[in-house]
Amino acid sequence: MSRKTPPTLAAAIVLATALLTPPAAAKNAASWSPSASEQLIKLPGDYLKKAVDNDFSRSRLAAALIDLDQNISLKQRTLGDLQAAIERADGELRTELQHQFLEEKRNYIDMMKEHQDLRAKRARTKVRLYERLLSKLNRSQRAVTPQQAELLTKQNSARERFEASAAKIDTRLLSSSMTAESKYAREYAKNLTAIESLVSAVKSHPMNQAPEIAGVPVSRGEYLRQLVAENQAEVAVVDQERAILGYMAKLVSLDALALSEGIDASNETELAEAEDPQAGVTGAVEFFVSR
Amino acid sequence: MNATMTSEQPRNASHVRQTLIGIGITVAIFAAAIGGAAAGTLENMERERAILLETILSGDMNAAERESRIQVAKTRLVDLERMVLRDKKLIGRNTPAVRAAFDNYDLTFLVHASTEKSRSIADHWLGQVGVSTTALMNARMGRR
Repeated sequence: MSRKTPPTLAAAIVLATALLTPPAAAKNAASWSPSASEQLIKLPGDYLKKAVDNDFSRSRLAAALIDLDQNISLKQRTLGDLQAAIERADGELRTELQHQFLEEKRNYIDMMKEHQDLRAKRARTKVRLYERLLSKLNRSQRAVTPQQAELLTKQNSARERFEASAAKIDTRLLSSSMTAESKYAREYAKNLTAIESLVSAVKSHPMNQAPEIAGVPVSRGEYLRQLVAENQAEVAVVDQERAILGYMAKLVSLDALALSEGIDASNETELAEAEDPQAGVTGAVEFFVSR
Repeated sequence: MNATMTSEQPRNASHVRQTLIGIGITVAIFAAAIGGAAAGTLENMERERAILLETILSGDMNAAERESRIQVAKTRLVDLERMVLRDKKLIGRNTPAVRAAFDNYDLTFLVHASTEKSRSIADHWLGQVGVSTTALMNARMGRR
């Protein structure tokens, strides 16, 4: 006992300490800093969300998340293999494999923690971005002063008066003028026809629909609030998943201590069949509840 | 080899999709900027209007010369007035020049307003600034 315990206990302490320490600095390098530009607010329909997602997909944060996803999937496969190997082994080899299994579990927890941090970072960045866009939108809508409102009214009535009298004025000017229709008038009329046909095509285009929530058209402000809520929900889910990871870490620590004390007799424990590897944290719970 | 190809295919498809979305967004941003005319439509119109008024008020030319100059200015001014009325960059632009321009349609858009009322530009403008033929006919010459 005294010969075997110290190195294993030391390993258990190292494991427990490692589970409490923050993960590697790699996540600090994974960054994404989108800017809430005026152009984003003007984008039609759900183009805004697509633009943000597209910007994210080109960031270092997205690359880090993809890499980590792949590593986690590989790690789950390793855990499954080790679990199967432990079932077949006995004696010292079994203890050695169990030790390795704990090590791999610890690595898996580290990776999952990093993964959760990156996901939380992505969700929080999106929340901040959408909130900034929302405040910009609100500011631009509130920004009309009484003087500006008066000007807009005058401009509208001027345009209405002009539109109402334009045809009559054209007839009178053309009948009395020495010159023919101007180049500007001719080109404008030609371009207007083209613009009108393009505008009608744009309006009827399926991708140019107003932003919708569950099939109901909504205002830009409401759409942005929905996006903020969706990402806030993602942050909350990640927080909940942290609790799962905490329990996993606790189990690994207990397993390590049990192994070090020699309590974990191989005939008392039956290792469950490995589940199919899953990307989510819940897919690995099986590795942790069984020893 | 086959395994490599199958793993490459989804990656390529995702890359193509990303590129397409990128193109879509870039074009949408460009499209959002559509609608603004070249700057200076109001300034150009105001310059022409000032020249036209100078021609109307000038005492250095005879009636025929004035009429032909007014006709030339009129054809130019009608286009400039329309450019201002259609200029989306002027919408809500709260500057003294824009406010003054839209304060009085009849004075700013001289050609359109005068043609709409079937009056000559000179009569229309004088009427707007408070000088009518009747007022002139009723005026008495005297010493101040």
